[in-house]
Amino acid sequence: MSTPKHSACAADIQSQDHNLDVPSPAALPDDIVDAAITWSIKLDYNEANADIKRRFEHWLQANPMHAIAWERIHSLRHSFSGTSASSALVISTMEHADQLRHQSLLKRRKTIQLLSLANLAIGTGWLVRAQLPWQRLTADTSTGIGEQRTLQLADGTELILNTDTAIRTDLSGENRIILLLRGEIMVKTGADMQHAEKRPFLVYTSFGKMQALGTRFTVRLASQGALISVQEHAVALYPAQSQASYVVKVNESRWLRENGTEPANLHGMDAGSWAHGVISGNNIRLADLLAELARYRMGHISCAPEIADLRVSGLFHIKDTDKTLQFLADTQPIRLSFRTRLWVSVGPAHTNSDALL
Amino acid sequence: MSKPDLTLHQEVHALYLDHYGWLQGWIRRKLGNAFDANDMAQDVFMRLLLRKQPVQAHQPRAFLSTIAHGFVVEHWRRRELELAWQETLASWPAPEVPPPESRLIFLEILIEIDRMLDALKPAVRSAFLMAQLDGLTCPQIAERIGVSLATVERYIAKALRHCYTLRFEP
Repeated sequence: MSTPKHSACAADIQSQDHNLDVPSPAALPDDIVDAAITWSIKLDYNEANADIKRRFEHWLQANPMHAIAWERIHSLRHSFSGTSASSALVISTMEHADQLRHQSLLKRRKTIQLLSLANLAIGTGWLVRAQLPWQRLTADTSTGIGEQRTLQLADGTELILNTDTAIRTDLSGENRIILLLRGEIMVKTGADMQHAEKRPFLVYTSFGKMQALGTRFTVRLASQGALISVQEHAVALYPAQSQASYVVKVNESRWLRENGTEPANLHGMDAGSWAHGVISGNNIRLADLLAELARYRMGHISCAPEIADLRVSGLFHIKDTDKTLQFLADTQPIRLSFRTRLWVSVGPAHTNSDALL
Repeated sequence: MSKPDLTLHQEVHALYLDHYGWLQGWIRRKLGNAFDANDMAQDVFMRLLLRKQPVQAHQPRAFLSTIAHGFVVEHWRRRELELAWQETLASWPAPEVPPPESRLIFLEILIEIDRMLDALKPAVRSAFLMAQLDGLTCPQIAERIGVSLATVERYIAKALRHCYTLRFEP
């Protein structure tokens, strides 16, 4: 059915931004369109008698716009023709699609909830350390100080939680998602065998997210960023407030910050050695090593400036930090003083350490 | 080639050089799939070339991602519809399953129907589809779905108004 000439002319003065097959002519008055619809229902969608047809002819002649409205509405009678299939199959398919969409809507909402919770948990920064019990409550899995835990996830991924760590996982959606709320994890991504297509594996932090590109890597949260170290393959970083993504390659470490990424210095320590129960490295500043050891023990380790720049190399066990501290005292010119069981001061061996306290 | 076309081409070409990689990455993050992302990024630039007016975007990336967002939504809608179609076919009695050669065109029509009737309530949509596809009259539909004639006529009127608006008053 052809479009009337005068409406095609009207199309020329319309905005040209619409790239539609049908010209968009000036709008007809609503009441005329409604009248045309009423006639269409009587004539096209019911058995009309002669009297109705006669009254319709009368209406059609009464106003040129009636004819335009009629032509358009009547043309809709044959929309979607071209298939011989019954409406039953189409209706069932549409109803099933409604269901699927409803489910994925719920899933998206759940993800958004999950993510805003994560932002709330770490968005407030370092102070959150004071609120550990609450975080543990909302997290799926957590470890205490000095504790490590290995998880096998349903998709085959192995997740190792380092000391003082809290995570949430959601493997039910189109992406496999880990939220790192606190601490440090090592990820060895699994094959995701139950799914025909391997789903993307994402780790979210308040500083941004990262996608594993078939891989083994560690993520450690600090107050100003997340430190990513890759042991196998690569990981793509996506800062929360920036488009500057970055792919971290094997044996590389990088900070993921809210506004970008930058190279990270591990101060001589190997990333991920904690998963084997040790801090390992070469030429590590003693102050850095002690700060690292402090993560694995309750209480506090203070380091005197005179010995801060001593350099150490090797393996330092983290399972029993008292023993490791004693080992350092035996091999380095340092002396340990326990103010309380939880507070250890490390100072030079030669001076009177009591004077330091 | 007329002058405005040349300008548009140059403009799109410049956008392509500066932002294609970024757009691809943006879409890939949305879809989780590099293969579809490449296609879709191409589609976004093809869409731009079809414009009648220059782009003149002050924030090209915001502009591109807005267009791409529409494609992404469309992509998921289509995926969900295809899945619904396959699963419904699988559960359908064999004699009534359309032959393989007509399934592709059937899917195209489904996509068209989905786009046109998405905003309608399921009952309105079903009544309208019975009228359109099976050629049923309002009294026949009323009998089939067990509601009054007046209700069916109201459903059909609603669907016609909706289709009219989409087709003639975009």
